[in-house]
Amino acid sequence: MARVPTVHRIALLFNGNKIFDREIIAGIGEYLSSTRASWDLYLEEDFRCRLQGIERWQGHGIIAEYDDPATGEALSRVKLPVVAIGGSFADPAGYPQDRPYVATDNYKLIKLAYDHLIEAGLQNFACYSLPAAGVNRWAQERECAFEMLTQRDGIRGYIYRGVDTTPQSWDFSVEQQIAWLRSLPKPIGIIAVTDARARQLLQACLFAGIAVPEQVALIGIDNDPLARTLTRVPLSSVIQGTVEMGRTAAHLLHQMLHGARFPDTRILVPPVGINVLASTRHQANHHPHVMQAMHFIRQYACQGIKTEQVADYVGISRSSLEWYFRRELGRSVHDEILHFKLDAAKRLLAQAGSHAAEIAVSCGFTSVQYMHAVFKRELGCTPREYQEQQAAANDAPLPPAKRSRKKLAAIE
Amino acid sequence: MTYFSISSTATDTGNRLYTLSNGRGMRVVISDHGATLISWWAPDRYGREADILLGYKTDEEYRANPAFFGGLIGRWGNRIANGRFSMDGVDYQIHRNENDNHLHGGEGGFHLMPWQVQPDPEGLRMTLVSPHGAAGFPGNVLTSVLYRLDDEGRLRIDYAATTDAPTPINLTSHGYFNLNGGVSDICDHILSIDADAYLQVDRTLIPERMAEVAGTPFDFRLPAPIGPRLAWPDAQLKVAGGFDHCYCLRQGESGAADGARGIQALREVATVYDPGSGRELTVSTTENGLQFYSGNFLRGVQGRGEQPYGIHHGFCLEAQAYPDQINSPDNPQREAVILRPGQVYSQSTVYRLSVRD
Repeated sequence: MARVPTVHRIALLFNGNKIFDREIIAGIGEYLSSTRASWDLYLEEDFRCRLQGIERWQGHGIIAEYDDPATGEALSRVKLPVVAIGGSFADPAGYPQDRPYVATDNYKLIKLAYDHLIEAGLQNFACYSLPAAGVNRWAQERECAFEMLTQRDGIRGYIYRGVDTTPQSWDFSVEQQIAWLRSLPKPIGIIAVTDARARQLLQACLFAGIAVPEQVALIGIDNDPLARTLTRVPLSSVIQGTVEMGRTAAHLLHQMLHGARFPDTRILVPPVGINVLASTRHQANHHPHVMQAMHFIRQYACQGIKTEQVADYVGISRSSLEWYFRRELGRSVHDEILHFKLDAAKRLLAQAGSHAAEIAVSCGFTSVQYMHAVFKRELGCTPREYQEQQAAANDAPLPPAKRSRKKLAAIE
Repeated sequence: MTYFSISSTATDTGNRLYTLSNGRGMRVVISDHGATLISWWAPDRYGREADILLGYKTDEEYRANPAFFGGLIGRWGNRIANGRFSMDGVDYQIHRNENDNHLHGGEGGFHLMPWQVQPDPEGLRMTLVSPHGAAGFPGNVLTSVLYRLDDEGRLRIDYAATTDAPTPINLTSHGYFNLNGGVSDICDHILSIDADAYLQVDRTLIPERMAEVAGTPFDFRLPAPIGPRLAWPDAQLKVAGGFDHCYCLRQGESGAADGARGIQALREVATVYDPGSGRELTVSTTENGLQFYSGNFLRGVQGRGEQPYGIHHGFCLEAQAYPDQINSPDNPQREAVILRPGQVYSQSTVYRLSVRD
């Protein structure tokens, strides 16, 4: 190797029918046009054909998407500089060895969607994933991230993988989706692992007459314009840092072509944004004063706050705040605080081993008698009766997956 | 209509904190000690308020302010190699406070001084006289700064200075921002800077040469997340432990305001967006340089939160002349940072905070 060629032959092994891959390729192109690097790009639409005999390919370097384990397997025999691209793994063992790896940060993708749903005011959460397969480990990573976040917050997260969609199973899979949607507590925020998946679910919601975003707030990942145009309710989506992934991979390969080696380099790229559209506009267009007040109430209702403090926080007079609340929500500030306290008390009562007196205090009721009165008025039962109803209901497990397993067991 | 209000409160050390408010629920708190930016409370896309500036918990800690949190930096922002320069044939040795180099005004730093608040119908105006000989600099320098906050979320800082003897001058504002309000570091912030070149530095962070950003982690001409860029293998990032470099901003229309200094008309030069909160910061300035600092030395600094700050917990975008420009081999470059009697130094920088979905 006496002479370094001025033009490098670089293979891009991607699955160019996905927006994720296309944007990464765009990022590679962006990097090249910003530098004096001169690469001839070898880009096949069906790169699987290329994998056979790739080790004998007469080029200088490869950037490859590693979602399919077969790619890593085939490239393990290649001596050329290779930069791998894919998703992040919670377990470091998931990463390919001896290759620089540029990853979309699956945890941060889900966290951005999850935080967004929380701020939209939701308290129930679900994740719509994919049936596990070797080629979609990223979907399982996103599912894991969702589980970690809900567990961290002590929230029950519902996960559904659904079935693969084929023409033969289409009706069946829609029925299954609707059954799952119906089984969920409402309102609920659902994160789909891709926009394509979110689109299916959105269609199922509309088909079944489930209001989006009032009953089901839905967010996908990819910000795929195609998925957006194919839905009646505009779909919110997390925007991956794909272009930056492409630039990063190109930069690493560029250095490697000049002799640098980065066997242990892993660069995780966070999402670059979130496209908030109607499918998660849970609090439809409230006035900023109302949103600020709601935010304060969400946080402090259980500490016994009063209307006056909410108005102080927002920085307007009590009467103005009341006017905004009446106009936008049709109820008073006091009612809103009371409902938050009531909901909190209901959640605590549903847990085993809780005492009404403690709950009254921790939910900001001035006395257990007052909580009793509010329960009677709003729910027509006492806290104790409510607790008993919940205990009875909890005997039957709620998640559909468990229920169906139970049924099967009974049949067997 | 532009609406603003100023209120003030005394701290237990006798300084006063001034609060600028606008009609969008923003509040900027500024201390007359060091004309320091203390807090900037601003709503995120959900209407949630947070302080997007880093700072200390107590007024006492601002007395030394070793991290330069929010300080108005003068008489010389950034570094002067070995604290030495020549002007009109005279050699000067000024205070060396960062190893062998001079940094941020040394013991005469404007951020350490009590400023006088002057009545002004437009905003918060403060003045300071930096005496001849302060940190070794010649000339009595009178500096005036005007802070204004408008309903569009623009915090405008107008600086003006005069002197009775020639002196180098380079003023800037050293706010540390974290657009998520401090819930995590700034690595997921998306940055863009309108500059084709930056200044490469030696081991003591003194600029050595101008280099193109193309093909390097310094290329923020298109928006890019800060964290992944910190992970790119790069010798300059290693030298500084991250970003601590001055960008050579693209030239705008030349400003008529100050031909001598060759400053630019006020133009937009950088944007930072935080996808989590939706907050976006846009920087406009009349200056030629923009120091981007990624908070490389914040680890363990106890700020106003319960936990000490971590590395990269805040970033700075300091609009200024080039570091060590007073020692530039180029005569006009050197002359551009010297303020002479009868001249008025002026610079304007605007930080605009908004929310994007």
